[in-house]
Amino acid sequence: MSTRRHVLKTILWAIMGVLAVVTVVRFLRGLGATTALTDVTPWGFWIAFDVMSGVALAAGGFVLAATFYIFHMEAYHPFTRPAILTAFLGYIAVAVGIMYDLGLPWNIWHTIFFPQFRSVLFEVAMCVMLYLTVLALEFSPVILEHRWFNRPPFTAIYALLRKATIPLVITGIVLSSLHQSSLGSLFLIAPYRLHPLWYSPIIWILFLVSAIGLGLMMVTAESFFSSWMFGHRLRMNQLAGLGKAASVVLFLYATLRLGDLAVRGTLGSAIDGSWQGNLFLFELVLGALLPATLLAFRGVRNSPAGLAASAAMTVLGTIGYRFDVCIVAFYRPEGMSYFPSWMEVAVSLGIVAGAVLVFIFFVERLRVYPEEHESGEHGEEARPSPGPVFNPGTVRALLPLSLAAPRFYSIAFVGAAAAAIGIISGNVLHADPSVHTPVSAARTLDGVVGPPTGGHLRDVRVLQKDIPVPDGYKAMPLLMINGNRDDRLVLFSHDLHITKFGGLPSCVKCHHENLPFDKNTTCDKCHRDMYNTTDTFRHASHVAKLGGEKGCVRCHRDTNQVKDRATATACSKCHADVPSQETVVKPKEGTKKGVAAGYMDAMHGLCITCHRQMVQQSPKEYGPDFARCANCHRDFDATQLLRMGPYAEEARRK
Amino acid sequence: MTAKAILTDTTLCIGCELCVEACRREYKLGEDKPRPWKMRIDDLSATRYTTIVRRPGSRFIRLQCRHCRQPACVSVCLVGAMQKTPEGPVIYDPNRCIGCRYCMMACPYGIPRYDWDKPVPFVRKCTLCYARLGQGREPACVEACPTKATIFGARDDLVAEAHRRIRESPGKYIDKVVGETEIGGTSVIYISDIPLDFLAWSPGLDRTPLPDLTWVALSKVPPMVLGVGGVMAGLWWIIDRRVKLAEHKEPEHKAPEHKEPEKKT
Repeated sequence: MSTRRHVLKTILWAIMGVLAVVTVVRFLRGLGATTALTDVTPWGFWIAFDVMSGVALAAGGFVLAATFYIFHMEAYHPFTRPAILTAFLGYIAVAVGIMYDLGLPWNIWHTIFFPQFRSVLFEVAMCVMLYLTVLALEFSPVILEHRWFNRPPFTAIYALLRKATIPLVITGIVLSSLHQSSLGSLFLIAPYRLHPLWYSPIIWILFLVSAIGLGLMMVTAESFFSSWMFGHRLRMNQLAGLGKAASVVLFLYATLRLGDLAVRGTLGSAIDGSWQGNLFLFELVLGALLPATLLAFRGVRNSPAGLAASAAMTVLGTIGYRFDVCIVAFYRPEGMSYFPSWMEVAVSLGIVAGAVLVFIFFVERLRVYPEEHESGEHGEEARPSPGPVFNPGTVRALLPLSLAAPRFYSIAFVGAAAAAIGIISGNVLHADPSVHTPVSAARTLDGVVGPPTGGHLRDVRVLQKDIPVPDGYKAMPLLMINGNRDDRLVLFSHDLHITKFGGLPSCVKCHHENLPFDKNTTCDKCHRDMYNTTDTFRHASHVAKLGGEKGCVRCHRDTNQVKDRATATACSKCHADVPSQETVVKPKEGTKKGVAAGYMDAMHGLCITCHRQMVQQSPKEYGPDFARCANCHRDFDATQLLRMGPYAEEARRK
Repeated sequence: MTAKAILTDTTLCIGCELCVEACRREYKLGEDKPRPWKMRIDDLSATRYTTIVRRPGSRFIRLQCRHCRQPACVSVCLVGAMQKTPEGPVIYDPNRCIGCRYCMMACPYGIPRYDWDKPVPFVRKCTLCYARLGQGREPACVEACPTKATIFGARDDLVAEAHRRIRESPGKYIDKVVGETEIGGTSVIYISDIPLDFLAWSPGLDRTPLPDLTWVALSKVPPMVLGVGGVMAGLWWIIDRRVKLAEHKEPEHKAPEHKEPEKKT
C-alpha cells in the first residue's frame, strides 16, 4: 500500500474517532447539547451538507449510468462502476446523516407506514429509500464478482441482476430526477421566509439542473482522486467530454437562475452590495459561470489542472448553493444567526471519512476499476477470474506495512476520540444547556452613607463634586452592581454589608466559590421582593390559590376601591413569617420579623426621598421635575419601568 | 362540528399574562429557563405555548399557534404527526413524529418549538386545548382572560364579531381582521389598533394557502415518472438498435471497438 493511502487512512480513522465520541453525546444528550440549532433555525449544517449537498454530490451515479447504459457511450464504461459506488456510498452517508439530524430517528419507519402524499418530504424520503435500493442492486454485481460468491445461489442472482441492468438504470434515473428536484421543492412552502434571491417557483428545476452539472464534475473529481490515490491513469479524452457536457449544463443552470431572478424582478437585490447579494453572486460565479466558461475552452478541458480546478469550483459552488438555500436564505436581521457547532461539523466530516474508507476498502478488494485490474480484458468474459483480486506477490511484499497499518489506525482513532472528549464542554456532558448569564462588571463610585435610621434602610448617595458631605454621613466607596444579572444596576455598599453580616468571616454568606457559575448570592435572596422575570408577587398563583375570581376579596377587601397594590391587604398579613425564615436580616426592633428592604423601596429610599426633600427645601432651584419618576426612569413607560433602572443606560454606554 | 376559533382583541389586552400562566398550569410546562436558542425569556418555547409580546405604547399582543385552516405544517409532515381537526385545532401526535422539524421550517408564523435539550425531543406548540374542547370547555387561556381580550367561539361568529367591533368603533381599530383570509385563513384571528405584520415572517401575506405551492410541484410527479421513464426507455431502445444494426452490417470492422453492453457493467 502506498504511503499516501496509509497517511490518508490514518487521518480518516482519526476523524472517525471524533465521530464516535460525538455520536455518543448526540444520542445521549440530544440535539440542543450538540448542535447550534435553534427554534428559528431548525435546519442547519447536517441538512445543508449531509442531505442537500450529499444527494447532489452523489448525482454522478445516475448521470453516468444514463451516459453509458442509455446513450451507449462506450468510452465512459471505466467511469461507471466508481460513479455508482460513489453514489451508493453517498446515499448511505445521506441516510446516516439523517439519523443524526432526526430528533426521533428510531421512528423513521413511520415514513413507509403512514404515507402522506401531500408532503414533498415524503416523496423525497421514498425516492431516496428506493434509489438506495436500486443503487445497492446496481452495485451488487461488483460484490458478487468476488471469489467468495462464485458458487450456485450467487451465480444465479448475479445473472439475474445483469439482466435487470437496464430496467434498474431507468428506475434509478427516474427516482434521481424526482428527488433531486424535490429537494428544491421542499422550500416552496416557505415563500415568506426565504430570501427572495433563493426562493423561486422553479427552484426544483434549478436543483435538478445544478445536480446534473455537479454530477458530471463529481465523476471528474472522483477520477482525480483515484488517480492520486491508486495511481490510475487519467482518461483525458473522456474527462474532456464530461467537461464539455458540464459546461453546457452549468450554463443552462446559470441562465435559468438569472432568468428566473429577472422574471421575478429581484435581479437588483443580487447586485445591490448586500451580503446576501454578494453571497449569491459568489456562489453562482464559483459554482456555475466560472467553471462553465473555463470548460468551454478546449485548452482548459484538455489540461488536468484546468479540469481539476473547474471540478473543485463546481463542487464548492453547488454546495454553497445548497447552504444558501438551506441556511443563509433563512437569516433575519433581528439577531437570528446560526453558525454550526464544532460537533455538527465533526459528524459531517466523520460520515464523509467513513464513506471514503469504505470506498477505499471496496477498491482494494473488488473490481471497481475493472480495466485497471485486467488490462486487455476486451475479449474476455466479464465474469471475474476465480482467484483473488489483487496480486498475492504484492501483498507479500507489503506485509509489514499492512500489519503495522491497523495499529496506526487504532492509535489515531483512540487518540482523536480522547481529544474529542477533552474538548467537549462540561455543560454538554452534564446535559445542562442553560446559559450562564454574564454579570456586568461592577463599577466603583465614591459615595456617602447616612446614619442608621433604626430600620434597614440607610441613605446611600453618590458623592457629587460640588456638594460637600452632609453632616452625619460617612464617605465610603460604593459599587454599582448587576446584582441579579439582569442589567438593572444598583448602588451597593460593600462595607455596610460586611459590617452587617459580622465582619470578614461573613464573606461566605454571599460568596460561594464552590457553586458552579454562581459565585455570589444574588441580591434577591435577602431583598425578597426584587424581581426576576416577574415581580415576586405572582397575582396568577394567588388567584388560583384563593379560589379564582371569588377570592378577589381576600386581598382587595373594599370592593368600592380600585383594585391595586396600594389598596390591597399587605402581604405580611398572610405571609407574616415566610420570608424571614430565609432572610438573614435581623428583625426590626419592636416589630415581629424583619425583611430586608425591597428593591423598589431600597432604590426609592435612596433617591426619591432625598429628591423630594430637596424640592421642598428649595423649589426654585430644583423645580418639580426633580422629584418625578421620569427624572430617573428616562423614556418613562409603564413597561419600561419594570425593565430599566436609571443606571442601565449608563452601564451600557460603558 | 363547526370550526371553532379564538378572537384576540389587542386593544383589550392588559398584558397580565394570566393566559400564559393558565397554559403553563394546564400542560404542566414548568419554568422558563434562559437557553442558548431562546431570543428572549418571554419568547415562545417548548415550555411556553402562548406568550405576550410587548409593542411600543403599552400594546400587548398574545402569540400562539394560529391553527391555519390549510396549515403548512400539516401538509409538509411526512408521517401525519400534525393533523388539522374539523373542530379547528391543529394537533400533534408525538407517537408519529420522526423529528425532521420540517413543520418548524414551513410555519409562516414561526410557531412550533422543539425540545432541544432532551434526548427524546418532540415538537411543542399550542393545540387550542383540543382535549378540553372535547369536554365542552373553552381553551385554558380564554378561560383565564380577565378582560375578555381573547374569546372563543365558532369561527364564523367570531369573524362577524370582529367586523362588528371594527364597524362600531370607527377609527379605533385598523380595518382588518388579521387571519380572516391570509394564506387561506386561520383559526386564531386578531383585531388591533396597531399593524400586526410582525406576526408573520414577512408582511403582506397572500391569500394562497401555502400547501398549494408545493402541490404545484408534487402534482408533476406522476407525469415526470412516466415522462422521464418513457424517454429514457425509448432512447435506450433506439440507440441500442442502432448500435446492433451497425455491428451487424460491418462486423469485421467494428467488432474490436464495440462491445456488448450487457457484458460490461
